[in-house]
Amino acid sequence: MTHDLAPQLFNGLVLGAFYGIVAIGLSLIMNLTGTINMAHGSFMTLAGYLAYTMVQRGMSFWVALIVAPLIVVIVGVLVERGLVRPLYKREPFYSLLMTFGLSLMAEEAFRLIWGPNGVPFSPPPALAGAAALGFMSFPTFRIFIAGVLIVAIVALALFLTRTRFGLRLRAAVQDTEMIAALGTNTQVLYAVNFGLGILLAGIAGVLAAGMLGLSPTSGNALLMPAFVTVIIGGMGSLFGSIVGGLLIGMAISLTTLFIPAASEVAMYILMAIVLLVRPRGLFGEEGIFG
Amino acid sequence: MKARAELIAGGVVVAILAAGPYLSPLIHVDLSIVSEVLVTALAVMSVNLLLGYTGLPAFGNAAYFGLGAYGAALSAKYLHVDFIGAVIIGTASALLGGLILAPFLLRRRGIYFGLLSIAFGQVFYFVAYRFTDVTGGEDGMNFPRPLVLGHYAINETVFFYVALAAFVGCLIAFRTVVRSPFGRTLVAIRQNEARVRYLGLNTDRFIFVALLISATLAGLGGALFGLLINFAYPLELDWHQSGFFVLMMILGGAGTVWGSLVGSFIYVIGKDIISTQTSYWQLYLGGLFVACVLAFPRGILGTLLARLKARPAAADSEPHG
Amino acid sequence: MDSAMMLEARGVSKFFGGVKAVDDVSIGVREGSIHAVIGPNGAGKTTFFNTLSGFYFPDSGRVTYRGSEITRMANWKRIVLGMGRTFQTPSVFAELTVRENVMLGVRARAGVAFRLRPPAGEGREALEHRVDELLGFVNLGRSKERLVAELSHGGQRLCEIAMSLSTEPSLVLLDEPMAGLAETETDRIITVIRDLRQRLGLTVLFVEHNMRVVLSLAERITVLDRGKVLAEGTPSEIAANEIVRDAYLGKEALDHV
Repeated sequence: MTHDLAPQLFNGLVLGAFYGIVAIGLSLIMNLTGTINMAHGSFMTLAGYLAYTMVQRGMSFWVALIVAPLIVVIVGVLVERGLVRPLYKREPFYSLLMTFGLSLMAEEAFRLIWGPNGVPFSPPPALAGAAALGFMSFPTFRIFIAGVLIVAIVALALFLTRTRFGLRLRAAVQDTEMIAALGTNTQVLYAVNFGLGILLAGIAGVLAAGMLGLSPTSGNALLMPAFVTVIIGGMGSLFGSIVGGLLIGMAISLTTLFIPAASEVAMYILMAIVLLVRPRGLFGEEGIFG
Repeated sequence: MKARAELIAGGVVVAILAAGPYLSPLIHVDLSIVSEVLVTALAVMSVNLLLGYTGLPAFGNAAYFGLGAYGAALSAKYLHVDFIGAVIIGTASALLGGLILAPFLLRRRGIYFGLLSIAFGQVFYFVAYRFTDVTGGEDGMNFPRPLVLGHYAINETVFFYVALAAFVGCLIAFRTVVRSPFGRTLVAIRQNEARVRYLGLNTDRFIFVALLISATLAGLGGALFGLLINFAYPLELDWHQSGFFVLMMILGGAGTVWGSLVGSFIYVIGKDIISTQTSYWQLYLGGLFVACVLAFPRGILGTLLARLKARPAAADSEPHG
Repeated sequence: MDSAMMLEARGVSKFFGGVKAVDDVSIGVREGSIHAVIGPNGAGKTTFFNTLSGFYFPDSGRVTYRGSEITRMANWKRIVLGMGRTFQTPSVFAELTVRENVMLGVRARAGVAFRLRPPAGEGREALEHRVDELLGFVNLGRSKERLVAELSHGGQRLCEIAMSLSTEPSLVLLDEPMAGLAETETDRIITVIRDLRQRLGLTVLFVEHNMRVVLSLAERITVLDRGKVLAEGTPSEIAANEIVRDAYLGKEALDHV
């Protein structure tokens, strides 16, 4: 059993980092404008497919890892301007519905372009295999993923706390009207904020494609756990998303080990408990959604 | 005056529907698809009551729909009940589900209510998915359509009239509920729940009953749907299915009595027609949905009704129904 | 606790975040009186009101109504007991007509809100009559069929007062009834508030900023500052109170007492 435990814990960590990063992206978008982005998973899948296509065409994995998320960000900003922005004035419910519709379209579009079954997306040879650490070995690619995700999270944290734009973003979450009154262009702010969330989704999407597989529905498979992470970690808290993600990642991988049948349900039961006992989550702020 | 016009219009619609077996071949649509429209409309009605009228994000109603289907399927297959028994047991299962979930759902409002609905729905989904021995797991479970009282078989035409009767019955009940003082209070809760409480009313009591009615409607729709296709499968319970019901409500018109039928019709028939042309019907329906949310938040019927009301007419003290 | 008091609060405190918005506040509202709660912005007046009306519960202290403990009673039950409340921003049903707004309260009071069948015949007439009566009291009869969203701010406030009267309260809590009103509308509300006591025999507790209104209407005034009670007494006592002067009142307002 202990032979399986360590790799499973490590898996849990990597999964948790995935959930955390997707959750942070969702959170960023939710906190500023109240938009609940049900299409977040679609952006992830898109990044995965774009990376796949690039690698098929002969580009290196490393280039794809950088370019695919950027393309997806551009798509994201266009979506924000055209489809999401008109709904800011309405209740969050409408953005939820509209993005749900978008995700349906995206799923079908993926089937149309890349086929209904998954496509194989293997990590580059340099990252294949496993690295031995003491008496255990971990897949190199997963170590790489963990590394990239950690760097991304740290970079985001620095952006939000050290740059002027980042500080304006955080101020806007507190009080958008005041920021507008002080002269900040809120339209640009909304677009950049959304783009930032999508960038995280894009990076996660390319990496997830290599680790978890790529199919028209693969992004959505990460979406629900990410929502659960946001709930548990706390609406309005990015730190909470990380903690929540790790908790869920661990919970899922441990239950997979011991009670496989219960692994998916465990997450929902956990979410229901949190919603009933402390809806704002572990680190959330009161009054984000009433 | 308006009530009379509505009655006539409704009568016409029902009459057209009653001619279904004769009309559907003319538009190249299978009669069983029209039956599907009718039973699905019940599920949309259930969402409409909670979301359209009371303002609660009902994103987990597929759970009741699926409970209805599985209740009918399991009782038909293992308990060998007849058709009527299967319908009753299916509906009762959904109602039971509603009774169990209601105390939890009542404790929250807004998006938390919606997320709780999804979470509970997913638990039911995974039970259906995992208990393969009983429920057939991912592949679902086939079951033979039971006879009525052990004797009379129900072919597609008879089933259609059963579905029509169920629909009309529920529509009348639905209309009665939403036009009653109880229903008016639900509408008030949607607009300002705090004020309803400050008028001395316990809103939890109202929402509890609304939840039960909603579960029953969805359960009846699910039971009939299962009996229609002689099949029950886990995806009936999944939150995507809940999303589709909400989509239909939006398409048809939230907060209107007939909107459920309109929305169900557009979705089910649209899906059927589009899928004969292309297997990518989800692309078009998803696009329709997005367009609807952006351009017609009141849904097709709702926008029509609003346009009609904007015309100068005699002062009508009845609120939109 | 004094049972001659309609509403009493003893040592009520409420925390928000780390801040003590209401700090050990006590109040006694005598039956049949018009009692005002005043204080500068952020003094905790609305928070205090919310604990009295059950919008949320205090962290410490007790609230009693006619001698019975109501500290943690659900807000809707307080209404049934005989309290009524209006809010700073009129809390009404914007998409319904004035008549429908008041009718909801009338139906609630008559115990027919939970019914499937609407009252008919005499029963219905009685309810309609009551709606007209209430609208007449606040002089909104003409606007009966208009959507509340279309009314002026003052009109919405009058509608809200009619709604709070529909449950036949004995005590009415008004949170800044003059907020956002023009001078002419203010006079109308003052008349209505006076009528609440004069014509209906209700007890009134209201929060207000407008000193002219407070000094002319109130029989008793409680002054809050930064969550604490600063002083309590008759208008002339309050006007003469040095501490209150310093904290809050301008000299000009006092000269008009």
